[in-house]
Amino acid sequence: MTRFFKTLLILALTVLPAVATVDDALSYSLEAAQPYVKEGFTVREDYWGGDMAVSQPKAITQQMFKGNEYWFWAGTDVKGSRISVHVYDSEGNLCEVESWQKGQLSASRVVPKRTGTYYVIVEIEKSSRERTHWGMAYGFR
Amino acid sequence: MPDLMKLALIPALLLASMPLNAAPPSKIDVSKLPQQTRVIGDVIVPVPSEIFGVLDKLNSKPRWADVLRPMKTVAKPFGDQSQVALYLGSVIAEGFVAVEAEDADQVQKIGRSVLSLSEALGSKVVKAVQKRANAIIDAGDKKDWKLVRKELDRALSDVKEAMAQLGSEQLSQLVSLGGWLRGTEALCEVVNASYSRDGADLLHQPVLLDYFGQQLDGMKVRFKKNPAIGKIQTGLNDIRPLIGASDGAEISAKSVREVGAITAGLVKAIQNR
Repeated sequence: MTRFFKTLLILALTVLPAVATVDDALSYSLEAAQPYVKEGFTVREDYWGGDMAVSQPKAITQQMFKGNEYWFWAGTDVKGSRISVHVYDSEGNLCEVESWQKGQLSASRVVPKRTGTYYVIVEIEKSSRERTHWGMAYGFR
Repeated sequence: MPDLMKLALIPALLLASMPLNAAPPSKIDVSKLPQQTRVIGDVIVPVPSEIFGVLDKLNSKPRWADVLRPMKTVAKPFGDQSQVALYLGSVIAEGFVAVEAEDADQVQKIGRSVLSLSEALGSKVVKAVQKRANAIIDAGDKKDWKLVRKELDRALSDVKEAMAQLGSEQLSQLVSLGGWLRGTEALCEVVNASYSRDGADLLHQPVLLDYFGQQLDGMKVRFKKNPAIGKIQTGLNDIRPLIGASDGAEISAKSVREVGAITAGLVKAIQNR
């Protein structure tokens, strides 16, 4: 086997599982979204995801529109881990009207009082892994 | 300690100081969110239906058929790939307008146009989009508007994913930008027809202007050679002061008209040779 193909094989073995786990994390999030689809929420095809260390939250900047209602669903692929998602307005005020956390799944509902910029804070609160794959989707109605 | 390392510690101090299972802090200092926790590159651009739905709820009874720009024939690609990407985005956005107008004939033309424009972006993009374009056409034929909206969003997502796999993230960003410009033009048209403060407020999208501005600044030189890109950069800068300085600031009817005129000019630069 040439060195080139060996390198390709190693890359495939290291990269593919990483991609798969972000997909798994997202699948959990989308599963959590299903009951809300029945309530009329449209789940966007775009999503956020990656890997994160415990207690090193990410702040995602997101545009929201007054008149809509939003749910954010976040999940990880690690059993026994805990993820949280909370939403703040442009002035830093916690603005979710409802939220829940069930182990490796968490969700937050927002009814924006204003159209503008919001911050979605996602955090891995507990995990057995150094870095945990996560995925987050959102829906609106 | 190097500055970068200090910065890396700040998010933990600011945001993760709460104990496990504790209620989240009721207030955070967003001005102190360190740069690396801001995932501005991951801004998800809203689909037009996310905004159009609010207009419907505002009871302004938009006349979507008047907003729709009917296509006489299937759109044909022209110009370089950056032009085609912008054009494709604007056509997908037109699809959302066609759905609001419940115009099955236009939805089908748009489905075929999506396919026609994708061909100019490479075989992988066509392959990714083929299924979606057919689904748009079929759902349009059945007048299943909810499904058409879903398939338009999926088409956007599939095009972007295919382009990312080809290493053409910048072209995928231009697809989003083309869609945003046509969506914003349509929004202005509806709000102009029946001005309301809440309707105008939908134009307050500073995070998206920042996002697109950053993407355009970082474009490859060969894409920047496209005159439409330069026009859009100027246009976005002109739009900035018109969409409200802060969340909740009033956007006047005059500002809505001006944003409408700017975006109309840019969409024209995208769609016409």
